[in-house]
Amino acid sequence: MHMNEIIQTLMPWLILAAGILVTLLVSVIRVESKRPAQFSALLTLVLTGVSALQTVSLPGEAIFSGSIEISSLTRILLALFSLIGVLFVVGADRYLSKEKIHLSDYYHLLLIMILGAGIMVAAKDLVVLFIALEVMSLPAYTLAGFRRNDSRSNEAAIKYFVLGGAVGAVFLLGSAFLFGATGSTQFPAIYSWSRQSVTGSNLLFAAGHFLVIVAFLFKVAAAPFHFWKPDVYEGAPTPVTGLMSTLVAVASFVTLVRLIHLPALDSTGWEVYAASIKTTIRVLAVASLVVGSLVIITQKNLKRLFAYSSISQSGYLMLGVLASLQPGHGIAPVLIYLFGYVFAAVGLFVLLSQSEPRGDTGVELVDLTGLVRRSPLRTALWSVLLFSMAGMPFTVGFFTKYFIFISSVGSGETPLVVLAAMCAVVSAYAYLRPIGLMVMRDADPGAAQWGGGFWSQLVVVVSVILVVFLGLMPNAMIQYLKGIPLIH
Amino acid sequence: METSSSLSFLLTIPLLAVVISWVIPKALQRIYAIFGSALILALTVYETSGILFSSTTEAAKAYFVDQRLEWVSELGLSAGFRLDGVSAWFLVLSALTTLVAFYLRGIWYRKQPRLFVSMGFFLLFALNSAFLATDLITFYLSYEAVFIPMIFMVGVWGENQKASAVFRFFLMSFAGSILMLVAMFQLMSMHHAATGQWSSHLPDILKVVANVPVESLLWPGAGFLLAFAIKVPLVPFHGWLKEVYVNAPMPGTIWMSAILSKLGVVGVIRFVLPLFPAVIKEYQGALLAVSAVSVIYAALLAIRSNEGKTLLAYSSISHLGFVMLGLFSLSSEGSNAGVLLSVGHAVTSGMLFYLLHQVEERSGNLDLTTSKGLATAYPVLFSGLFIAVLASVSLPGTLNFGGEFLVLLNAYRASALCTILAALGVILGAVYMLRFFQRLGLGKTGTANPVDVLVKKDLSLADLLMVVLLVGIVIYGGINPGIFMKG
Repeated sequence: MHMNEIIQTLMPWLILAAGILVTLLVSVIRVESKRPAQFSALLTLVLTGVSALQTVSLPGEAIFSGSIEISSLTRILLALFSLIGVLFVVGADRYLSKEKIHLSDYYHLLLIMILGAGIMVAAKDLVVLFIALEVMSLPAYTLAGFRRNDSRSNEAAIKYFVLGGAVGAVFLLGSAFLFGATGSTQFPAIYSWSRQSVTGSNLLFAAGHFLVIVAFLFKVAAAPFHFWKPDVYEGAPTPVTGLMSTLVAVASFVTLVRLIHLPALDSTGWEVYAASIKTTIRVLAVASLVVGSLVIITQKNLKRLFAYSSISQSGYLMLGVLASLQPGHGIAPVLIYLFGYVFAAVGLFVLLSQSEPRGDTGVELVDLTGLVRRSPLRTALWSVLLFSMAGMPFTVGFFTKYFIFISSVGSGETPLVVLAAMCAVVSAYAYLRPIGLMVMRDADPGAAQWGGGFWSQLVVVVSVILVVFLGLMPNAMIQYLKGIPLIH
Repeated sequence: METSSSLSFLLTIPLLAVVISWVIPKALQRIYAIFGSALILALTVYETSGILFSSTTEAAKAYFVDQRLEWVSELGLSAGFRLDGVSAWFLVLSALTTLVAFYLRGIWYRKQPRLFVSMGFFLLFALNSAFLATDLITFYLSYEAVFIPMIFMVGVWGENQKASAVFRFFLMSFAGSILMLVAMFQLMSMHHAATGQWSSHLPDILKVVANVPVESLLWPGAGFLLAFAIKVPLVPFHGWLKEVYVNAPMPGTIWMSAILSKLGVVGVIRFVLPLFPAVIKEYQGALLAVSAVSVIYAALLAIRSNEGKTLLAYSSISHLGFVMLGLFSLSSEGSNAGVLLSVGHAVTSGMLFYLLHQVEERSGNLDLTTSKGLATAYPVLFSGLFIAVLASVSLPGTLNFGGEFLVLLNAYRASALCTILAALGVILGAVYMLRFFQRLGLGKTGTANPVDVLVKKDLSLADLLMVVLLVGIVIYGGINPGIFMKG
């Protein structure tokens, strides 16, 4: 392909990469003020998002000898990542000043994370995927330890780093096995190898496939690979927790789905292997749903609560993955679930960052007591977003769960849906209890003060508008995302 | 009147009332609630009068209305409503019950009255939407929406053990409705498999289900039946009921016993019977037996209970057992009799709980072992209670008589044994209701009664008015049972 065409195709990614350099430079030149870096990051993200959306309907193209494929899926995901980035740049402003960690580094680290995530979802080569994974993860470790004087933040950074290192190692080992078995690290080559290998999987391939999947199961914290998550969520600065829960989670989950679809599971000779993959996903789904939904009702710290929430989200998503393994089903349920989750989660984490600091304990349930009298608007915003998490109708959270459930029933997973629906009810208790505390209880004397400032409140309002608008009129989103094929 | 606008009207008016209740001053909430619900009752009767008062089912059919609004066609979500001979009566009942519940004075008008009134109107909206729904998901959502106000009722104005009552209520009901939801998903995926389209509209589903073998309808049918068996409730799914009824504030109890239990009845008529005729046919014996056992078992529990509210709670289960017996007789006359008896039960149980609250206000408790002889002190109140008791034991000339008679008649064709068993329940019903009245009202005034009991006033004129209205309905319906049977 001609160089010009490559540049054209890669334009959103190139803008982002250039923006990182500009932001870095700007923050070095004007050390005393954070505004230039902030502005440059915002501009970069907006340009990236717009240019990704502009080209979204163009056909997919494989570039760099097939190691990256730029398609509708990757473009729409990059646009989503840019949106997340914009919201966390605008929404974190006041939190960072309040915690006295307002450094320009936040902005370029965030941009690097987005670039990593954006490449990761486009990678069609295990090596490129590994590099993208590290590009996304390294800034995340740094950001997790951003509150340098806080031991919990340091603990979170170390835990996240050690885990990330292990994930990288496991992934590399798996890639090596896959290379050994198939003779290539490129997805299409592995796929066609699996089509030709009529004998079905061999042990080396199975081990490699298993390892790369396990690496990402750690990353998305599907039970039983979830134990790191609550501690890291609790210790990391709240906007960074938000980034992990949205940006990193979406990128990792999409990658996980693509890795699961690495071999052609429907080709002859692979029936046993496909069945065992399905069984594994069922086990993971049950474990994540049960652990997430049962433990969440005992949580008093809101960041830990959302950590368990995201563990149970992995469970619902596993149902979507199972449906996508059925011939004729795409990954639309998974994508729609991820989008719906992100729109609510951004608002929730920005809301969480609005409490005034009270030592290093984070936001406890007790801080929400009597909020309706102190701050009615904030109570309404909290309620809408929590309703969406609980899957209440007229919020986007309803459709996302509903779509996952009907497609799972359609692919014959009825018992799992019964379990998932029960877990949804149990965890609804955990999401609705904070609303009860806000509305029905008087303020506890120890309750924290809340104060967000205009910009962070604006971000929450944007998130609420998205949640409600897509909750009332999801047609366009569903139709659009349904048309997006999974890349191989 | 037969335009679809009447449907949207019946649904939007209660919602509007919810909104208005937030701007009404606290002191005026009761007045607003009473006039608002009376107005809604009048409008409901007016809008449905074509169906309610036409002489035959054929004549009523001219007024049936179907409406369907597309929502998310990609996922088969639409809002479908149908006003017919069954739903019309339940709409009137839910408005009437709301009026009765709002009419009661109590702590709910002193503690957070705005929340109480808005939740009451929201409940009315959710009930109406559930009674009208012909779309699986619309029905499910309305069915679940009913819980929100009920949880507030018990949680905010409930009595001693409200937390555990709320929890049990929540758990039992959701366990059932989740299975119903999954059953709906199964039906929808059958539709998807057959046509390639998602739809949750009942007529669409019915077309597809007709070609599906009975075995694969067994589980969906069981899901629906279980949800409704919990809701009604049928023995052995009645475990949640006593604690919730007793700990709920009296308006909550009235709503639950008079109208919430009818969600199960309407659900069976609207969804279970048309969707799973073969399944029901196959298990008819078992279903009739469960209904008959409910009648007897709950009546025995009522005989054993020593607290007024508990006794009436069990009597509710017993009467609803009759209703289900009628429905499971699988004849249209049986279904109609079930509707008639549902109306009768709703009105009489509303009246009983209403008057029971008056008794409780005066004697301080409803302990049947200690309080007695209250009729001497409150002749008017106890006259009303006596009429309610007679209506409840299905005295000929009251609404319940026709219902129970026709239910037994139709059930006899299906199963003589179950009918004979259930008929014993009529006798047991007389035993516990008369015992209830005798313990509370008759005899010498007990020493256990607090001294100030006798100085309180008898039934007020306003309360008397409500009793007269309800008695009027009971007797009018007792004379004209035909108007309730247009299913």
